[in-house]
Amino acid sequence: MFLLISFSFTAMTLFCLAMPKHREQVLARELPLWFVASFRTLAWILLALTFYISVDFYGWSIGPALFFGALSGALLPLILSLTYYPKVVPLLATLLPVLAYFISTTGQVSFL
Amino acid sequence: MKGNFRQSMKWLHTWVGLVVGWILFFMFLTGTLGYFYQEITRWMEPERPFVEHNISNEKLIDIAQVYLKKNAQGIDEWDIMLPNVRDQNLRVGWRHAPEPGKKRGRYKITVLDIESGSKVESRATGGGRLLYRMHYRLHYLSTDISYWIVGFCSMLMLLAVITGVVIHKKIFTDFFTFRAKKGLLGWLDIHNVLSVIALPFHFMITYSGLLFFLFTYMVLSTNLQVNEDEYNEMRKEIFPRTSQVDSANQPTEMLAISSLYKQVNHQWKTNELSYIEVSAADDINARALFVRHETDITYNPEDQIMINAITGEVISQKTKQYTVTGIIHNGFFSLHEGQFSGPLARWIYFFTGLIGTAMIASGLVLWTTKRKQQQMKKPQGPDFGYRLVEQLNIGTIVGLPIAIAMYFYANRLLPLGMTERADWEANVMFISWALLLIYPAFRPKSKAWLEQLQLAALVFCFMPILNMLTTDKHLGVTIPHGDWNYAGFDLTMLFIGGAFAFSAYKFKQLQGKESKVKRDRKNMTTDNSIMLSKENKRAA
Repeated sequence: MFLLISFSFTAMTLFCLAMPKHREQVLARELPLWFVASFRTLAWILLALTFYISVDFYGWSIGPALFFGALSGALLPLILSLTYYPKVVPLLATLLPVLAYFISTTGQVSFL
Repeated sequence: MKGNFRQSMKWLHTWVGLVVGWILFFMFLTGTLGYFYQEITRWMEPERPFVEHNISNEKLIDIAQVYLKKNAQGIDEWDIMLPNVRDQNLRVGWRHAPEPGKKRGRYKITVLDIESGSKVESRATGGGRLLYRMHYRLHYLSTDISYWIVGFCSMLMLLAVITGVVIHKKIFTDFFTFRAKKGLLGWLDIHNVLSVIALPFHFMITYSGLLFFLFTYMVLSTNLQVNEDEYNEMRKEIFPRTSQVDSANQPTEMLAISSLYKQVNHQWKTNELSYIEVSAADDINARALFVRHETDITYNPEDQIMINAITGEVISQKTKQYTVTGIIHNGFFSLHEGQFSGPLARWIYFFTGLIGTAMIASGLVLWTTKRKQQQMKKPQGPDFGYRLVEQLNIGTIVGLPIAIAMYFYANRLLPLGMTERADWEANVMFISWALLLIYPAFRPKSKAWLEQLQLAALVFCFMPILNMLTTDKHLGVTIPHGDWNYAGFDLTMLFIGGAFAFSAYKFKQLQGKESKVKRDRKNMTTDNSIMLSKENKRAA
């Protein structure tokens, strides 16, 4: 579940950064255009991956439901931090999935 | 209703939302708490012992069987519920013989003390279950009327969700937009964000909620289209058939259920047993059904094993027969109730439920914000309707959480031997709510907001202290013991109290600033701070 939330967070951040008005909010300098242009595609790929993981973990019945749950769960923190602490967004978007990946592979956490 | 399509949809959205907004707020908040109803019940029965984690399932089953044999004689069906992540005590349940004049007896659950093997005598309480039942079975009203009111409100909610999507002009471009601005713009953003981010949930919960009482709402249509037999056939198709055995009235000794469990364990290779259903107990037909993580949406025949409790043979027969219609129907039920979810997913359900609650609250506040400036200009003061909405907003958005806190207070403070104690817990809740609904009529509105926010902060922060004063299971004991379900309740109360305190502080701060600002700016600032109360609602 934490993995799903983290991946959704990053995917939604990419969508968000694909929009010029939010890019200004978050990043100090302008990124190369080709790089920005890839954001939306990357986001879709990541979202599809998250969906796949969800279905793989929980099956076709629960998987899609939890996928949408995770998406909502990721969006509120993202939008709040966009408004109040925009600078931490890229950092979180990078760190969270890595952290979540390690937690899930070590298998220590049973509450997933 | 005028203008183009979008405008008329906007009109519909506004009025549909306003008319039933407060009932929806009540339904959403109590329903959201329902995701944790077992945990709440456990907090409300502090007499229950802590759970020993190192006791094997076999031992627990033995304890339960001994108790049932002694206390549930003549009852055909026994349930044994094993300790789980949510409600960690060993429990047994059965349906009592019906009272005269009633069709079915009451189903009662008994919590067992593992050490003594006897019943835990806990205080009379409605528990989390009563709170959660309120969200569809409005407390004081009769069942039929409640279902109709709830259905009517849900239908309007569904309308509001759909029209909301239609009138949101820039659902994608403004997907991430939240401007912490004062007044109308800020409120509109809050309402939009809360609606859009959990849109799948809002739609799912409203739609599936309507399906629960399908046969009540669609009675006219079913009556016209089908006759009695077809109707029963249809019901059979929707609700899965469970194979049942009846008692043959030939009493026999059953095998020890724990010995049957050994076979189950052999097949599953895990200790995931969730509950056992014994039918035709101590009869020649006796059977035991072992179930692990059971919900309709994930129905998997391997999760259930049925064993003949006399011979110990495994009976290979599907216990539930689902039709396609049945799977769809029960799938929606499961989605609504979220019984399948583990702890983190349950928190997500809770969290999205609060987003829904906050969405309704922000919509209600938006209504007054939009009209405030115009209303304040009126020479004889704001209209009655406007004042009423504002009053109901204060009394519900902040008042209802306080009333729910009062329900918990009543649980701790009402005398233990009192008659109809469980009823009075609920009465205390509704009396408090009524008082808080009336109170804003006698105070200037901004004062009323502030005072109720402060009151809310106080009652929630004091809850863990009250728990410490009245029981032996307070944070100082539960945390070292690692009982996070129990401690989680107190900690959540503290968190909510903190959130209310923060919003009261912000509200006051903004009011202070506002008195320095010009008069026409005044109205807008107040509203912005109300948004913080919304934040609370989210935490509540």
